[in-house]
Amino acid sequence: MIAGEPKREAPAGRSGRSLLAGYRPIAGVTDEMLDASGNVRPGWDMLISVLSDISYKDRTERFGRADQYLRDAGVYYRVYEGQGAREREWPLAHLPLIISETEWQDISAGLEERAELLERIVADIYGDNMLVARGLIPPALIAGNPQFLRPLVGIQPVGGHFLHFCAFELGRGPDGRWWVLGDRTQAPSGAGFALENRVATTRALPDLFGDMNVHRLAGFFRQFRDTLLALAGDPGSRAAILSPGPLNETYFEHAWIARYLGISLLEGEDLRVSGGKVMVRTVSGLRPVSVLWRRMDADFMDPLELNGESHIGTPGMVEALRAGTIAMVNALGSGIVETRALLAFMPRIARALNGSEPKLPSVATWWCGQPREQRHVMDRLDRMVVGPALSTRLPFEDPEATRPGSALDADERADLLARLAADGAAYAAQEDVTLSTTPVYSHGRLVPRPMSLRVFAARTKDGWSIMPGGFARVGRTNDATAIAMQRGGQAADVWIVSDRPVKRETLLPDEKGPARRYASGNLPSRAAENMMWLGRYSERLEGTVRILRAYHVRLAEAADPALPLLKTVRAYLDFLGVDATCAVSPGVLRTIDNATGSAGQIRDRFSPDGWLALNDLSKTLHRFADKVEPGDDAARAMTVILRKLAGFSGLVHENMYRFTGWRFLEIGRRVERGIHMARVVGALASTKAPDGGLDMLLEIGDSVLTHRRQFSVNASRRSVIELLALDPLNPRSIAFQLDRLKAGVAELPGNETGHLTAAAKEVLNLHTRLSIWEAKDLDGAQFNEIVSGLGAVYDSISHSYFV
Amino acid sequence: MLYDVRLNLHYDYPYPVEGGRHHLRTMPLTLPGMQRVIAANIALSPKPSEQTAFSDFFGNAVTSIAFRKPHDTLDLTMKARVSVTRPEPPLDISPNLEGLGAEIDATLTLDATSPHHFVAGSLHAPLEPAITAYARDSAASSRSVFELAFDLCKRIHADFDYEPDATNVRTLSHEAFRLKAGVCQDFSHVMISGLRGLGVPAAYVSGFIRTIPPPGKERLEGADAMHAWVSVWCGREAGWREFDPTNAILAGNDHIVIGYGRDYADVAPIVGVLRTVGRHSSEQSVDVIPVAE
Repeated sequence: MIAGEPKREAPAGRSGRSLLAGYRPIAGVTDEMLDASGNVRPGWDMLISVLSDISYKDRTERFGRADQYLRDAGVYYRVYEGQGAREREWPLAHLPLIISETEWQDISAGLEERAELLERIVADIYGDNMLVARGLIPPALIAGNPQFLRPLVGIQPVGGHFLHFCAFELGRGPDGRWWVLGDRTQAPSGAGFALENRVATTRALPDLFGDMNVHRLAGFFRQFRDTLLALAGDPGSRAAILSPGPLNETYFEHAWIARYLGISLLEGEDLRVSGGKVMVRTVSGLRPVSVLWRRMDADFMDPLELNGESHIGTPGMVEALRAGTIAMVNALGSGIVETRALLAFMPRIARALNGSEPKLPSVATWWCGQPREQRHVMDRLDRMVVGPALSTRLPFEDPEATRPGSALDADERADLLARLAADGAAYAAQEDVTLSTTPVYSHGRLVPRPMSLRVFAARTKDGWSIMPGGFARVGRTNDATAIAMQRGGQAADVWIVSDRPVKRETLLPDEKGPARRYASGNLPSRAAENMMWLGRYSERLEGTVRILRAYHVRLAEAADPALPLLKTVRAYLDFLGVDATCAVSPGVLRTIDNATGSAGQIRDRFSPDGWLALNDLSKTLHRFADKVEPGDDAARAMTVILRKLAGFSGLVHENMYRFTGWRFLEIGRRVERGIHMARVVGALASTKAPDGGLDMLLEIGDSVLTHRRQFSVNASRRSVIELLALDPLNPRSIAFQLDRLKAGVAELPGNETGHLTAAAKEVLNLHTRLSIWEAKDLDGAQFNEIVSGLGAVYDSISHSYFV
Repeated sequence: MLYDVRLNLHYDYPYPVEGGRHHLRTMPLTLPGMQRVIAANIALSPKPSEQTAFSDFFGNAVTSIAFRKPHDTLDLTMKARVSVTRPEPPLDISPNLEGLGAEIDATLTLDATSPHHFVAGSLHAPLEPAITAYARDSAASSRSVFELAFDLCKRIHADFDYEPDATNVRTLSHEAFRLKAGVCQDFSHVMISGLRGLGVPAAYVSGFIRTIPPPGKERLEGADAMHAWVSVWCGREAGWREFDPTNAILAGNDHIVIGYGRDYADVAPIVGVLRTVGRHSSEQSVDVIPVAE
């Protein structure tokens, strides 16, 4: 509702309005909840009543449920500070922003028109250049623009369109009108976070969400998935999301959307261009991909024709585009319409192409490369935000380079005026808009905070579809520049509410159609390698922790740390890179960090529960590293770690689908456990091992009880080696690992023809040798042979599937 | 003039590289009214698994090659017979600096020869106040853009030392400017930075030049290298004119064009990602032999 509409009477007689009591919108600023007369806007009423009616404690619990969900789902984003970056918890503002369906229809119509206009502009810039020829866009803004990618000029996009997915940043001014603050066409982020905000917010407010006729988001994603699959053409080819990788600030979202839409998540390293086609390096060889939804800036996509310094791109990608073999969402080069100075020309272009004013205006913008505009800006600096003309950042995301004239001191002001006069073409100015405020719940009361709204548009077979909802960014303080998440802003769900019941949609498949199965064997090599290493690192950790526990138990009991057994174990741990003089040494932390590192590379293939368990394990270990003392304390700490490790392994083994990825993880575990057992048995059951070694070995191998049942109470070399090396029924024995490896390797791609793969031959060779050996034959040399044999198994798998 | 041009590029890698994709810009262009390629071919060893050709944005001929098998050398030989017949230099009809600015603004096109592509700083030829100031001295004494460019071309030749070891292919214009030394690539980049700093559109030209043997002596085979010079937009009427700051002359019938770009990066003879760590060594040789007509 806009400020000029008739007054709305606040519903009388309702008890629950207490939350409104202290809420004071800022004078001269539009508020999303209260209109200019102080009345509650439609839609907000029920939310405020319900929240007012419940107790402070109840509210805290409800909002706590939303936060708990976000933690459980592992939603994070990356913040960059100084030298490094870290993952930060998702800052959800618990109250949704509410917009009525009637108002939303106007916004949607405006954005559909705008998305189509942007499509025509991009098509023209990379095609006929009619806009330049007619004087509607200054050629300098294109030719001198780093977003203008010359190798893409003249290339017709597969599917006929340049843009398939756009986002718009909207703000509402003091006059109550919505304005477009910026267009996102390069690789817009936030749609996945919008979904997560939705899920979290409905955890807190399930009853309200059900009662308030809130438009659902799933339909939007379903339509866009259909678009991606339609672009892929025949059902055998596939669509994938292309991510810059886990170091990107929104990697979580890439992995999340990939899981949600059921499409692969790839990185540049996964791709090869061969014969003009884009192929994925999988464990079954090169497989074609025909649609890429890229989340990577275009410049990085091909080091051969675009940014030569890019290490995350795919050489030959532009050639594949030239050959018309790959559909790119959005087309490379589309980022050019994000250019700030181009906003100045949008109204003229809209009038020229559509014959009418745009339905939704964009924020008033002036490019200072034109004398009149330059003068205008210099004369009204106090009402302007001035920054680089070719910047693609939103003004409030760029506080270093883009500053409001009103915030400058005398020297800064003189300096800016001088620069504007000398090189106007380098600058664009925008009206310093005052954003509207929306209520934020803070310590039991509501406070108004500035907000901007990100809305998403997807191309469907019936034209543009606007997500009924979005992603609101809400400031921590009253300063509009504090909206950016990197600067401590919060994110809020956006509810589009209807007077009538809305359609409930999910992404579940249509029950009438056949269930669609995706071909297996398409596992990217990089993912397979990370799976295998995750298996190896988690197993390595377990092996090390078992030895450490046995060691610290004995250290606590022994009067003398120089006892031969303790010395031998210390030397052995030292060989593994673990310092036994502290409870949790850096070597142990390195192993868990490597495990989480590998898991972090394959978030899309890994259950959130498994990820949480692994992170919990990592946190515990890092905490123990600071606090736990050697001896009894350490022994108890290691028991905690083993329990958590068992939890992680349980999740992996009981919950993970037996896809090719799981097989690599399993093979990694078996290789590592085999190596561990061969080494530790070789060290502690050798003819030269110190007293007590055999008992300790049984403890490390978790086989004390079994040994007691099957043999005598006293361990002998023969009985221990029998149980820990040769017994195929003992899940800790070397023989057991080789049995599993034999089965696992046989199920990898490449065995279909009946011929043994190189890896299968290595396993068979080792398995056969072990089967012939008897306990009395085994000593140091044989155990070394097993270790190097398992190393050869790893090498041949690595050579066959990872390169 | 009719020439037989032969270019050889040879790379030795410290150990075999797996795969690899390269773009080659080594073939002379056919430029109507100026240069005609009668025959040309590229021979590669080892033989690439893929080889295709296309024209880039600026109209240069690009050969794309890819290798799938490991290899530890790469050898390229380009041979071409080219006829060069540049027209006699016309009268100077170029505007002065102020007039040029207005003509640029009035040029509403983004085709490959549009001056707009060549006014912003680029990777190897960024805008640099010191170089702009140096170039401004030429502006003071010149009545037209053509005069300005030719004067700058001659000054660079006079002020800079030709020293192949002073710089390398990655050297940027301001580094060469500080050294006052370099090779044709550096001289061209300095001239481009200077002109753009004054608002004059300037392009980088990659090509070959015939080394004129001293009278009575045989020319030295293989002594020549690939050459570079500068093309300057001298207004709508005069169009693009080419200057060679290494030799302080206008480009003439001794100059054979391979391609045009904003700087070296747009026309490097070979680009491509080598999937290897460590250094590789390279050699280059060029013969430009006039053929009797």
